[in-house]
Amino acid sequence: MAAYVIRRLWQMIPTLAGVILLIFILFNWVGGDPAHVLAGKISNPEQIANIRKQLGVDEPYWYQLLVFVKQVFTFDFGRSWSTNEEVSRILLTRVGPTLTIMIPVLVIETVIAVTLAVMVAYVRGTVTDRATMTICTVAMSISFLVYIIFFQWLFGFILGWFPVQGWSESFTKNLFTYAPLPIMLAIAVGLAPALRLYRSFFLDEINQDYVRTARAKGLPEKVVMMKHVMRNALIPILTNVGIALPGVFVGSFLLEVFFSIPGLGREIITAVNRSDFPVIKAVTVYLAVLTMLINLLVDVMYKFADPRVSFK
Amino acid sequence: MLALASAAADAQKKVLRVAFRTAETGFDPQRIDDRYSVGICENFFEPLLTYDYLARPVKLIALAAESVPEPEEKGTRYTFRIRPGILFADDPAFKGAKRELTARDVEYSIKRFRDPKNRSPYAWLFEDKLVGLDELAEKAKKADFDYEAKIPGLEVRDRYTISFKLKEPDYNFLYVLAMPNVVPVAREVIEAYGTDTHAHPVGTGPFVLKEWVRRSKIVLERNPNHRGYELDTRYADPKDEWDRRAMEQLHGKRLPALDRVEIYPIEDDQPRFLAFLNREHDLIDETPTSFIHQILPNGKLAPNLARLGVKVFREEQPELTYDPFNLDDPVVGGYTPDRVGLRRALVMAHDREAEINFIRKGQALTAQSPVPPGIVGYDPDFRTRAQEYDPAKSKALLDMFGYVDRDGDGWRDAPDGKPLTLTYKYNIGGDSRALAELWVKSLTEIGIRLETQPVQFADLLKDKKVGKFQMAGSAWIADYPDAQNFLQLLYGPYTGQSNEARFRLPEYDRLYEKSIAMPDGEERNRIYREMNRLLLAYAPWRLGVHRIFNHLQYPWVKGYKKHPILYTNFKYLDVDVAAQQLAMK
Repeated sequence: MAAYVIRRLWQMIPTLAGVILLIFILFNWVGGDPAHVLAGKISNPEQIANIRKQLGVDEPYWYQLLVFVKQVFTFDFGRSWSTNEEVSRILLTRVGPTLTIMIPVLVIETVIAVTLAVMVAYVRGTVTDRATMTICTVAMSISFLVYIIFFQWLFGFILGWFPVQGWSESFTKNLFTYAPLPIMLAIAVGLAPALRLYRSFFLDEINQDYVRTARAKGLPEKVVMMKHVMRNALIPILTNVGIALPGVFVGSFLLEVFFSIPGLGREIITAVNRSDFPVIKAVTVYLAVLTMLINLLVDVMYKFADPRVSFK
Repeated sequence: MLALASAAADAQKKVLRVAFRTAETGFDPQRIDDRYSVGICENFFEPLLTYDYLARPVKLIALAAESVPEPEEKGTRYTFRIRPGILFADDPAFKGAKRELTARDVEYSIKRFRDPKNRSPYAWLFEDKLVGLDELAEKAKKADFDYEAKIPGLEVRDRYTISFKLKEPDYNFLYVLAMPNVVPVAREVIEAYGTDTHAHPVGTGPFVLKEWVRRSKIVLERNPNHRGYELDTRYADPKDEWDRRAMEQLHGKRLPALDRVEIYPIEDDQPRFLAFLNREHDLIDETPTSFIHQILPNGKLAPNLARLGVKVFREEQPELTYDPFNLDDPVVGGYTPDRVGLRRALVMAHDREAEINFIRKGQALTAQSPVPPGIVGYDPDFRTRAQEYDPAKSKALLDMFGYVDRDGDGWRDAPDGKPLTLTYKYNIGGDSRALAELWVKSLTEIGIRLETQPVQFADLLKDKKVGKFQMAGSAWIADYPDAQNFLQLLYGPYTGQSNEARFRLPEYDRLYEKSIAMPDGEERNRIYREMNRLLLAYAPWRLGVHRIFNHLQYPWVKGYKKHPILYTNFKYLDVDVAAQQLAMK
């Protein structure tokens, strides 16, 4: 296993190099010139040149790329071009609020989706199954934005069950006062596609020969479902959760904007709008590394979910 | 017991809670230009001059200075005496000592605008302005900026006296010294915090920065070192209900009355508006236009808001939206009759009423000239039909200059027979897309094909500065309340800077140069009118609108009146704590 992990870590280097190159090309191609934003309403070419020099964007491309690579390996992306705040500080202070929302979303959504998926798969073809699938289709057809706008108005303003928006310094207050409504909305939106997907995983397994054999042997249905079907369906579920996991660290831009959550999603959009390349670089690289590490972790977890899996 | 007493004292504190529609960037006054950060800085720092809170039209009054100086040497010299005894807020950079504001602080702060290291977005205020400052800035390109150097433009005569010597007469210079970021900072503080000056706004203003969760929460608390003041009612208009109310509510009070101000940047309209309705905030400035029918149905405050005692302050913004044509462009540019005719036809084809009624939801005034209401030099009687919506006249003009459909495809062609397709660039986001679509609809009606091109804000700025556009969307908000601030947008030598249209008309430039050397008066207004006429005749822009904002407050907010130039008014506000707490239950 160790050899497998080392090999996979080694393979990350060319992927990371590709990511660095792609970000660099994209920023220089379509990223906009930050000097014109920073120069203010009235500026002359000399001031623009001075700003470009200070930001280092007047250097030859190869040199700028070299600086970028150095930043990746020293974990020092300097300061934000628009606010002068240290990029590392931006990431550290914004990731907390994002995780406060996104971890409960992922955990609760997965638990509910898996549970419901087992249940509807078990009663496949019945009215309950069909009604659930119809509800899921309808729920998936509505935009996330509509959910936010409507339920923020309903639960936050009309019923007053939750604050309309806000965030505090206290983790407990955030988790129990400000986070519940955004978490509920994110779950409501994510649940329908997850439920449909997981149901199909379970149905695939239920129709397998080994399930028929287990039933023929007279095993109770509960044991068939929970021990045999669940275990085998867990691998694609793990893959799906693994794919969603990096998103947990980036957050939901819409939720963060609508509920005034000082998270990373909101920061990324602001950085893009302001052509704040140091922040864009740091977030993208951090996300790429995270995605690769999570993929590795998920692959390792397959082994525990299904002992037949071997590391090659 | 102590904890209970402390909680009771906190409950009695006067706290104002407001939302800003855009997040701040930082609080180093010489290094920022966004309206919201500058607005917050109004509370930390004090310029030499400011505007009277109640006077309309706006009136300059002394703040850190003892008085508003008279121009000397034909408008090329202004001498200020700073009030002795003004103290900076305490800060570790002062090493425990009280720090008094002096003329050296003013000198240092002005120099900071031209230090290339600060890359100040307002450096242009002091470019080609003060004697000796340009030379100092030039030297700073090769070495560190020499803050010790003495220059005739910034003459510190004694501890409290500073005299500004200008290269050319400028009767608007006092307005520059009333701008909320042209404020004295302490050199020790700037040097102590180095690259982190945005987080340490230490000034002489009525509030200090108590807490800052970037882009989420900004808390101001009363500056214990501030001398305080009373509301000056000399220029108030007793017939104006806002003035009358402010005078009654603030009478005899020592200002600032608030103990604490909490500012929450909330970018999206709905949560900002709902937070106000939920009484999470005490007032909402610039109420989102998308909710205008809920706030002002048929132009009157909604009954549910009126029942709560909510007041609405309607403000015609000192700003202008406009669509520049690129005068260097081979298709729409130029000064020959056919090109001028084309631009005038395009302008007349634009359905400005539709813009105001549908896109701006009635919350805008038609711009008759570049100068918005409330600005010195604004002429309420100046009316023009040159930019009125008139598709028939537009078509006739196009026909007259040979912009007709030559190949029978239903679209007009250029006089030389080439296909005529124009391009309009606009910033992604906001109402810009709807405005671009209105342009398309308007020009389609007269048979001109228009392609729209949404671009990032940074790209739009760049493209307009380097002349890489044909038509584009633009806006300008007053830096100071004089028509010159708007009319300079068409001054030829500012091409590539603020003159996005790249308009270079010797007659206009001559009038502009003449106007800046003149004090406010009828003669200068006559020149301004002449410049307006040239603009309308050559049509380098389509004049847009002056937007109207609606500001709402709950009845427990006392002393409210919105100032057209200053963004915040916290130092003049008071809160009825009992009423506020009752409403929050």
